[in-house]
Amino acid sequence: MAQAQKEFSIVGKRTPRIDAYERVTGQAQYTGDIQLPGMLYARVLRSPHPHAKIVGIDTSKAEKLPGVKTVIHYENAQVPWSSGGLTHKRFIFNNPVRYVGDPVAAVAATDRQIAEDALKLIEVKYEKIPHVLDANEALKPEAAKITPNGNLSVGTGAFSSPIEESWGDLDAGFKEADRVFEDTYITKHVNNAQIERRVSIAKWDAGKLTVFASTQGVSNARTDIAKDFNLPLSKVRVVCKYMGGGFGNKNQAQDYDYMAVVLARASGQPVKLEFTREDDYIGMHGRWASEQRYKIGVKNDGTITAVSLDAVTNMGAYRKQSGNLSGTDFYNIPNFKKVIKAVHTNTVVAANYRAPAYPQSVFGFASFLDQIAHEMGLNPYDMFMKNRAQKYKTKLPFTSNYLEQCIIDGAKRIGWTEKWHKPGAMGGVRKHGIGMALGGYPFRPGLGAATIRLNPDGTAHVLVGVSDIGTGAKSTMAIIASEALGIPLNRIQLTNGDTDATPYSVGESGSRTTAFTGTAVVAAAEDVRRQIFNRAAGQLKAKADELDLRDSEVFVKGDPAQKLPLERVVQNAGELIGRATTNPAFKDAEGKSFAAHFAEVEVDTVTGHVRITRYVAVHDSGTILNRLAAESQIKGGVTQGVGMAFSEELLIDRVTGIPVNPNYRDAKVPTHLEAPEVEVIFIENYDPYGVFGGKVVGEPPITPAVATIANAIFNATGRRFKELPISPEKILRAVQV
Amino acid sequence: MKDDKKGIKVTRRSFLKGLGGGAIGTAVISTGLVKANPAEAYSPEVAAGAGIKTALNLKVNGKNYRIDVEHRNTLAEVLRDQLGLTGTKIGCDRGECGACTVIIDGRNMYSCSQLAVWMGGKEILTVEGLAKGDKLDPLQEAFIEHDGAQCGFCTSGQIMSGKALLLKNSKPTEAQARRGLSGNLCRCGNYNREVAAVLAAAAKIS
Repeated sequence: MAQAQKEFSIVGKRTPRIDAYERVTGQAQYTGDIQLPGMLYARVLRSPHPHAKIVGIDTSKAEKLPGVKTVIHYENAQVPWSSGGLTHKRFIFNNPVRYVGDPVAAVAATDRQIAEDALKLIEVKYEKIPHVLDANEALKPEAAKITPNGNLSVGTGAFSSPIEESWGDLDAGFKEADRVFEDTYITKHVNNAQIERRVSIAKWDAGKLTVFASTQGVSNARTDIAKDFNLPLSKVRVVCKYMGGGFGNKNQAQDYDYMAVVLARASGQPVKLEFTREDDYIGMHGRWASEQRYKIGVKNDGTITAVSLDAVTNMGAYRKQSGNLSGTDFYNIPNFKKVIKAVHTNTVVAANYRAPAYPQSVFGFASFLDQIAHEMGLNPYDMFMKNRAQKYKTKLPFTSNYLEQCIIDGAKRIGWTEKWHKPGAMGGVRKHGIGMALGGYPFRPGLGAATIRLNPDGTAHVLVGVSDIGTGAKSTMAIIASEALGIPLNRIQLTNGDTDATPYSVGESGSRTTAFTGTAVVAAAEDVRRQIFNRAAGQLKAKADELDLRDSEVFVKGDPAQKLPLERVVQNAGELIGRATTNPAFKDAEGKSFAAHFAEVEVDTVTGHVRITRYVAVHDSGTILNRLAAESQIKGGVTQGVGMAFSEELLIDRVTGIPVNPNYRDAKVPTHLEAPEVEVIFIENYDPYGVFGGKVVGEPPITPAVATIANAIFNATGRRFKELPISPEKILRAVQV
Repeated sequence: MKDDKKGIKVTRRSFLKGLGGGAIGTAVISTGLVKANPAEAYSPEVAAGAGIKTALNLKVNGKNYRIDVEHRNTLAEVLRDQLGLTGTKIGCDRGECGACTVIIDGRNMYSCSQLAVWMGGKEILTVEGLAKGDKLDPLQEAFIEHDGAQCGFCTSGQIMSGKALLLKNSKPTEAQARRGLSGNLCRCGNYNREVAAVLAAAAKIS
């Protein structure tokens, strides 16, 4: 059973977000809502070719258009974009251009229509170069070379290629197996598709640069900008107060921030650069597509003895992130080897999208395990239960692990035992199916900082560098501060996302904010409390360490009747300031949040349409700090998985390399009508390394969703779908054999 | 067509620009369509609608505004850039996502797909107009209580579609609520919450 919860005053409750009022009244000011006096508007011109040398660019007609202030391109704005290309050098404008959508020029004008008009007046002469769109083709010796070193994306560390990892003895593992299975699973490029289009506003004041960004991390964005523009950090300010989603494609600073900076410097005016929705689909990145070739050895009882994974991931024209595949993480695999070739092609860049390395490979691996269970006459429940991860990579213990409980509780809730049937066994036109899969995401502590200013009336002001991309991070930080301080939430003010005002934060990516910055908030609260207790000791005739603070009252722990209102203690203090920079680490352990998902579907064999009739998501995320927001995160992650499972794919024309569906309607993002009601269960426990026992929440829910749905479709139809998305067309082709 | 220029592409904006260039008629529409193409044929001076303005009486949230609007500007742009009502968001600017939803004469509509010059004499309600002073609309309260906003960028649009639904049907079923909000995308996938908020608001007002 899960470890008993500690007593909390606000942690674990259902707390509406601290900025919900601003969001429902339209008062929340997002980056694009900011208007500065004299501000110009900017638009980006992109390459229509997948691979071409620019042999001439004539901007004279564009510059003559009334209202146009500045035009920049590779000749007059050679700014490196370090985080945009980790294996071969990338600039904000590149020559040659390497994919359809590679930026060629940007225009700043007095309004956005003029900027758009000006793009059409820029004359670019391209000399086409042979291109390659398919990742396997790209690895052939005769393929067009996208980087000087070829198309295997060879970098260092996490950006090496092939990415290789192994343990145990693979050959011995396969020998030990009663049966060995081999198969290939394929996933496609899916755009993050957050509703807020990319926008950046840059302004220069006496050598100081301010960027109002739409970024998941103001601190990292500032570091990037300072580095690539060769500025001291003290001359760069990055602000992001409200953020309209990103799911991994607004980490750090991006090329559009840089373009706004250059245009603002050249024009001497503030510049707002806006992406169109098409820009957003092709100009940044989506989830990397993959081809996963598995070889899995199992004993007759279903126990895995060995797994080898040979894969290719398509990173597009530039390497921004790892290209790894980690869906095997949730299983006990005694002998393991993976070789993943991250590959360049002349297509849209692929990088982080919520749990970057997971949903595609959980789809592959958990689908295959489900298939193996079928072929061996086992119930998939037993297959997943038997092979679930119990130690990190079979060796180190986890800081906490309630995956078993997730599986048990989820199966019970959905009624697995009663409802599971042989795959394809149901008659009729609409076929019922049930499926499951395991998922999760790494949890680890790291560098964080926080400041808390206690006002003389006893209210507290928390300063943290976090942006809030929709996870509720601002609210989570305020809840942590409230709990740690002993001051009610309504007496806490929070300032976030401004590098001139708020301390370092890791940035909202990798589900790290709660662990990294939250730990610092707790430490800063302890710092303030020490100062409060030192002041109160005399007044309460007790030692400072005998005092406690709860609900804005300072009292003697051994004699709670001896108490003082907090404002009485601090009324003449001016201001008490607590601060902390923290950087804890695990000792001989690794952390992970776990999940087991279960779905029931109804497959219409006449239309190929699948309806999810029930969805149960069970999560071990340690203590849940805000049940309301955490449930929403789980529901949202599953919904994104629904899109990936059924419909979403950025299609690239095989001849021209042009993306043909860079918009919501054609890329088929799920709507209200496709979203299932998601039942969320948390297996509450207290992780010893977590902030108040909490682990990670944001990324885990998307990880098992695709595989869960795919396995339910298999159970309904008896047909295995090995390539995403599982569209009605594919289903019809399979069931009408 | 020369392949070193932008390809043949009629964006929604260029189409709307064409419409906005003058009285609606075939000549103007064809201007918009043709002019979207090669640079040689493209004359900035006659860029459809550029610089042409009309004085307009706009009624938004019960207030009358007398403003000059450029013909090619959409209602979403005018609300945001000229009236400072930035609660209305633009997510796709092509009539797909619903972030720009406002209520026009009682119906929820995409304000990115309505030219501002068409709005004379119409009653426009935006998210800023829902609260009565400090008193939030029950739907806004329900969105707070039910965690209707994750990143919050689609929220104004969800609320305006929900409001339009409740104006017509004060007791929607869950299926009707979903249908009523189905033109509003939420990439955070917060659909369960948004529907729950509409149903809770309906229960509150009835």
